[in-house]
Amino acid sequence: MLTRRGIFLLTTLFAGAARAAPAGDAAAQEATARAFVQKTADALLAVLNSSAPVADKQARMRPLVDSNVDVDGIARFCLGRFWRTASMAQQNDYLTLFHAVLVKSITGRLGDYSGVKIEVGRAQAREEGVIVSTTITRPNNAPAALDWLVVTQAGEPKLADMIAEGTSLRITTRKDYDSYLTRNNADVGTLIAQLRKQATTDGG
Amino acid sequence: MGLMTSRLPSLLIGLCLAGVLVGCATPPPASDADALAEYRENNDPLEPTNRVIYEVNDSLDSAIFAPLARGYRAAVPDSVREGVHHVLLNIGSVPLLANDLLEGHLDGAGDTAARLLVNTTVGLGGLIDVAQIWGIARHDADFGMTLALWGADPGPFLFLPLLGPSNVRDAVGFAGDIGLDPSTYLSGPNWLLFAYSRFGVSAIDARERHLDDLAEIKKTALDPYATLRSLYNQNRAQQIAQARGGVTQ
Repeated sequence: MLTRRGIFLLTTLFAGAARAAPAGDAAAQEATARAFVQKTADALLAVLNSSAPVADKQARMRPLVDSNVDVDGIARFCLGRFWRTASMAQQNDYLTLFHAVLVKSITGRLGDYSGVKIEVGRAQAREEGVIVSTTITRPNNAPAALDWLVVTQAGEPKLADMIAEGTSLRITTRKDYDSYLTRNNADVGTLIAQLRKQATTDGG
Repeated sequence: MGLMTSRLPSLLIGLCLAGVLVGCATPPPASDADALAEYRENNDPLEPTNRVIYEVNDSLDSAIFAPLARGYRAAVPDSVREGVHHVLLNIGSVPLLANDLLEGHLDGAGDTAARLLVNTTVGLGGLIDVAQIWGIARHDADFGMTLALWGADPGPFLFLPLLGPSNVRDAVGFAGDIGLDPSTYLSGPNWLLFAYSRFGVSAIDARERHLDDLAEIKKTALDPYATLRSLYNQNRAQQIAQARGGVTQ
């Protein structure tokens, strides 16, 4: 029979092992996430700083978003509690339109970001993923801190959020949608109609 | 006296009407746990009133402030606007220094004092941020943050006339910063002129610096009020967390 001291020793050993394992994982995750951000930033800059016409840049940006951003994950996060109340058809419509609006909002502002530089800093494992800090410099602008949230999606690192001066893109969007839906009888159809408008209007 | 008494009832009626307008938000029923959690997180029990103030601010902004800021951007070269911004920051360094000290951030206070000294002299009254070039970066501190570090809760979210998003703690902090500014206590026509000019230029400078991001929010957000509220809450939380950690960057 185990003495009380024995149980104590065993639990501390196991607790130690349990703590040690994620710590090792965390370091590996951090390294992977940092490399991913560096690679994505390089690919992004290659498009942004090329002398190609804007239409070409937009065409090259779309596959970059598709392969490196967890668009469906972000979309679900942004719909929050209303994801469950949406019908299957609404969920599908919403995902498609969210994707279109996201790509449009990135590619629509490509012209604003020529001459940009991204310096990748340290990575920190958190509960929701790994936060990789970067510093963005643009001509005639003060350097700005931008944090990237990297999650693992089917074994691959994907971008799940961007955080500037403490403000998370996905949390802000979620709050926007939540308030809009609360004021529109929780009708996901109205949100879909708005997103459709954003996806189809010029310059949105 | 007669005038006073005859005005009193109408004043009371006005206040009562205002009382009707100053409505409180109705919390979601306890049965809807998700909605209730969201409501609590937004911390905006005065939402109906706040939205009215937001609408008024937004109308004034569209009619007056945004066009003024666009005019300022069009008429004044980048470098001059940057200089003006630096001068305003330099003037505001004294309350910043006071807050560094009240927060117990001696390193931050040292930086602020050094920046004030260097920029006022070598930087020609703050026109050029020489201290930044020398590696002494600016950091934020204000009385709202100081109160937070002293343990004050933010209190309900507020949308203030002209000033925009805030909360009870930060509104008190705003008044506190005026109290910590030595120029508040100077009198005479010249100082009054200085105070008014500084207020006006600060307003136009601040509005010009947010022309692009506010336009973007109004264009893309489905509920710009809720978006601004969320951005304000997140940004303040980060500033306070950094100040709490002693990080003055």
